Amino acid sequence: MSLLERDSLAPNAWLGNLPVTSRYTAGVAGERFFRAIQDEGKILGTKCEYCDITYVPGRIFCERCLAELNDWQDVGTVGEVYTFTLLYENLDGTHRDEPLVVAFIRIADGGLIHQLGEVDLENLSIGMPVEAAFKPQADREGSIKDIEYFRPLPT
Amino acid sequence: MTNKQNEFPGTPLREGDFKENKILYYHDVMKADFAWDTGIAIGSYLAALKNGYLLGSYCQTCRKTVIPPRTVCEWCFRPMDSYVRLEDTGTVNTFSLCYVTWDVKRIQEPELPAVIEIDGASPLHGIMHKLGEVDPEEIHMGMRVKAVWKPPEEREGAITDILYFKPLKEGES
Repeated sequence: MSLLERDSLAPNAWLGNLPVTSRYTAGVAGERFFRAIQDEGKILGTKCEYCDITYVPGRIFCERCLAELNDWQDVGTVGEVYTFTLLYENLDGTHRDEPLVVAFIRIADGGLIHQLGEVDLENLSIGMPVEAAFKPQADREGSIKDIEYFRPLPT
Repeated sequence: MTNKQNEFPGTPLREGDFKENKILYYHDVMKADFAWDTGIAIGSYLAALKNGYLLGSYCQTCRKTVIPPRTVCEWCFRPMDSYVRLEDTGTVNTFSLCYVTWDVKRIQEPELPAVIEIDGASPLHGIMHKLGEVDPEEIHMGMRVKAVWKPPEEREGAITDILYFKPLKEGES
């Protein structure tokens, strides 16, 4: 066998896997934001008095004037669809028949990226009011997934 | 500069804060699978390991035998001339007693990595592997060793098809 020919019986590739793990902490503001969702079913923002802006999710400093923010406010669980998209593909690339509706939901001067549920695709529109549907308290674990999805407000 | 600083800004966390679920965090396991093309020579080398022998390659011009095999000679840059089947015995060139694992955990019994010059390859040519069945105190450079293989049915075409190298006893060659 020539040295320049592949041995047809030899493995073509070495398969491996890198054990890469990470921990991403919620942080001081995230801790408070997610605990409020978990314990009280509330969405909290922080208000900068000087800039007259209410950040959602709440953060501990103002992005514009860099002041420390302590004014935590319950901003309610209703927002409006700022933009949305329909996903016909899963994370692993497989096709899904029923699309996943992902939207940016404007709440106060900020908002959340989340799923929409209980929604008729025909009537989906930008600007439509939606409210957070929380999981039962016992199933919540201090994560954004404690909100199951946002659903259209009953008219 | 920092050694004069006693209090750093920020929120210190301890391992216990994670374990006891005192804080919220997201634990991610990244999917980092990879396939590394073995190339021609290493592919043949791995196939040989599966069959229970070591493979090198030989350059006629330079009269060099190297292991693992390569397709191109490192000295004259010409194609190597042939594969050579080598012995699974050799000589310890250098070694270490390693009291930490790859992910930096302390261990009581040391791992024994060594570079072993393989018999039949040119002087100073060899592979890195582990030593076994040996008192760490007795390992020395120049020690004669022999490969201990996995049973044939468990071999998968990997360097770990050799479990370790053990010392050759007096009289064995």
